[in-house]
Amino acid sequence: MITLVLSLLAFGLATFALRQRRLLWGVVGVGAHSLALAGVYLSLAAPDVALAEAAIGFGLVTFVLLLALRRAGRLVVAATPTYPLLYQQGERVAGLEWEILKRLAQRLHRDLEILWVPRQEIPRLLEAEEADLAAGGFLPAQSEALPLSRALVPTRLVEVRLGPGPLGAVAGGRAADFLPPGGRRFEDEEALLSALARGSVGGAVVDLLRLRDWHFKGKIPEVQLSYFPDQLSFHFAVAPGEEETILAALEELLDELERTGELEELMRRYLR
Amino acid sequence: MKWAAWLVAMILGGLLAWTSWGLFPRPALPPWQEATAYWGARNAVAAIVLGARLYDTLFEVLVFAMAMVGVRLALRPLPKRRARPPVIESPLLERAADVLVPAIGVFGVYLAASGHLAPGGGFPAGAIVGTGLLLVALARGIRALAQEFPQPILSQLEYGGLAALLILGGGSLALGWRGGWLLTLANMLILIKVSTGAWTVLEHFAAHRGEV
Repeated sequence: MITLVLSLLAFGLATFALRQRRLLWGVVGVGAHSLALAGVYLSLAAPDVALAEAAIGFGLVTFVLLLALRRAGRLVVAATPTYPLLYQQGERVAGLEWEILKRLAQRLHRDLEILWVPRQEIPRLLEAEEADLAAGGFLPAQSEALPLSRALVPTRLVEVRLGPGPLGAVAGGRAADFLPPGGRRFEDEEALLSALARGSVGGAVVDLLRLRDWHFKGKIPEVQLSYFPDQLSFHFAVAPGEEETILAALEELLDELERTGELEELMRRYLR
Repeated sequence: MKWAAWLVAMILGGLLAWTSWGLFPRPALPPWQEATAYWGARNAVAAIVLGARLYDTLFEVLVFAMAMVGVRLALRPLPKRRARPPVIESPLLERAADVLVPAIGVFGVYLAASGHLAPGGGFPAGAIVGTGLLLVALARGIRALAQEFPQPILSQLEYGGLAALLILGGGSLALGWRGGWLLTLANMLILIKVSTGAWTVLEHFAAHRGEV
């Protein structure tokens, strides 16, 4: 009788493990299944086998899976905060790209983790495989040869001039490529904006999305802009070597979002 | 059509079982306690694994050793990966490892030492000690732990244990050694073999296929 109950329990736990979307719960289910199986062996008067099953199935295998899950179970995104695309709202993260990343992580059965880093750190992190994806208004610089997703949001670069002095831009991104000689590079937006406020730079090269954000936050007044001719767009970038896996899944997801009209809906919600 | 095939297979199997049952007279066996005591054990499984079926166990250990050699050789041509920053874990795990690992180690050794008296033995004991090592690896990172167990010493321990086990088994098979001391010693050697093997595999995969 007890054997039957334990066998059914083991079967139920195996089904539970298979049906989990989060891999961590799957691993927990596999461990619990092994323990129930050890109980079955014990009830069949085979304590030695039960001990081996508990030690290997419940102990060793669960730990090996947990150890593997620590690295492979995460989707690490290196990003710079960019207002409507990927930004922090109190404790939460939100934005258009966040919505897409959330769906991607679910599709890949991974836990999403965001590393907020300066823009110029991103290529190094992706190449060192410390991050899987780059996001947060990613405009690839000409020197960066990272695999990119499709164009997500179109934008252009502009030159903003507030006063005399050199131009500034955030180091590492496409905007820094367009900096004329003598221009100054800053680690992040905060540094650039405070330099603008101090007047140590007379203007900035920046994309339209960030400029809009600066306007809304009252960081800079309405000024004369001059557009650079290139039509650009924001992309996701993935770590080299992940083209077949993460990038393929991302493209598939974007296809699906486009087909169902969800992408349009998200764009309307976050960009208008 | 499929069910017909199943039916035929079951009928054939039943016929085979029915005819073979009465074919060979079963030899009268001594009571199992007596047979077990002959090998110096109280746990019948230990008497079988390290006594009556010692050949099986020795070859099983050899298969395990070959698997370890295979992992070493197959991973050697792969480049070693650079150390990546360890994943930050909660202090809870580290404290838990500090508290649990000694208990896990003692329990593993106890299981190996008492394998001839009660359920247990070298294989589950080795797996338990290996799990303890994994727990420390989870808490501190594999590379930090690998520096405390230098590879040459581990290999010596592993192959030394294997050689001692083969000598012991050979003595038992050829010269008729038997008794509780032999079972205990063999279980201890299996414990060393299995736990160092588990650690070696883990360490090699971590070094060549990326830090975990």
